[in-house]
Amino acid sequence: MSDLMAEITKAMGFRHYALVHHVDLKPAVRSVHIVDYPQDWVERFQARRLYASDPIHRASHRTNVGFAWSAVQSIISLTAADRSILAEAYEAGLGDGFTVPAHIPGELNGSCSFAMAAGEMLDHRQLPFVQLVGSFAFEAARKISRIHAPQSECPSLTERQAECVALVARGKTDWEISQILGIGQETVIQHVKDARDRYGVTKRTLLAIRALFEGQISFADVFGR
Amino acid sequence: MHIGTGFSQAMEHRLFRSMFEERKRVFVDLLRWDVPVIAGRYEIDQFDNDRAVYIVVTGDDGEHRASARLLPTTHEHILGTIFPDLCEEAPPRGSAILEITRFCLARKLRARERLELRNQLVTALVEYALANQIHSFTGVAEWPWFQQILGFGWTCRPLGLPTSEQGRSLVALQIDVDDRTREQLRASGIFRPVGLADLPAAA
Repeated sequence: MSDLMAEITKAMGFRHYALVHHVDLKPAVRSVHIVDYPQDWVERFQARRLYASDPIHRASHRTNVGFAWSAVQSIISLTAADRSILAEAYEAGLGDGFTVPAHIPGELNGSCSFAMAAGEMLDHRQLPFVQLVGSFAFEAARKISRIHAPQSECPSLTERQAECVALVARGKTDWEISQILGIGQETVIQHVKDARDRYGVTKRTLLAIRALFEGQISFADVFGR
Repeated sequence: MHIGTGFSQAMEHRLFRSMFEERKRVFVDLLRWDVPVIAGRYEIDQFDNDRAVYIVVTGDDGEHRASARLLPTTHEHILGTIFPDLCEEAPPRGSAILEITRFCLARKLRARERLELRNQLVTALVEYALANQIHSFTGVAEWPWFQQILGFGWTCRPLGLPTSEQGRSLVALQIDVDDRTREQLRASGIFRPVGLADLPAAA
């Protein structure tokens, strides 16, 4: 896969690429991470855990289509910290680039990026093609990671558990949930506990966030329609 | 799964009428598509004619949950008529090629049910193709939906470059269906048994 990525990156006239899921919840399971960025930058990026605050990653969560890094301000507003991250990346040799978001319900957010070296011009007309290549690259990586991680490792909730978790996300107490669903409070407590166990989390807040993240419940379930 | 052949026949059945109602709720009320609404409740356009085929997946209560419309590519269809520019070459046409349009999941479904129904409908479309000597589906998708379609694991390729304006992006695609498709869907966790036994009865 890395070889293929290197080849297509070169063929399209780029210097660097990164094909990544954005959060490592459980390293080695279902998550994709294939990167060829300047070594110096990769080290700084990891040391400072920038994957959560990287403005490019954040912007990619706000859109579904590919964008040029130089246009990131049209998607999110940049803080001083964001600007310094971008400046540092540039200093480390990473120029302008494209990022293609990879968002699929029930899956971690990810992206595929292609970048020029610092100081080189980006050809914006390439974007539609890069968007296609990025999406297919991500799908290929997804297929490979599927081979290594059987489906059963993906925790899923039962109907009732998901209903309870959606109500937890709405800030309801176990008693309130029991009233809404017309079931016993003890039963609700058990459902919520089982759901927490499935994700291996101990807090209700984290449970709701994980279930949202995994697509077991949606924002529509939480905010209603 | 239930199969309706032709618009007039479909309109005679309550199940398919509720499909046209759901299409209004999804495509007009929710997605704000500029498509006609008939009698204030049905979303029906010029492609809902007697050559259209409707696939409906129902819930345990027998009500509409998910549906899609299949159009013959040998006659007027969306890619050939409205979006031929999305194809780098001429839009694919042929008696073994159908266009999937109005892929519709009921609005009231919750996230998990949506994914489940989506998977059932995708499988139903594949089963329909395999039972009717259809080798390919074509379609037009917005970019986020195209990413999902690609993620189903079947053989899917773009027919041209995606367009991009104001953060929205459209792409034309072709999906090939053959004896490997079920296995491909199984590998990505999409495949669901959809009760082909219903087929002759419902047709």
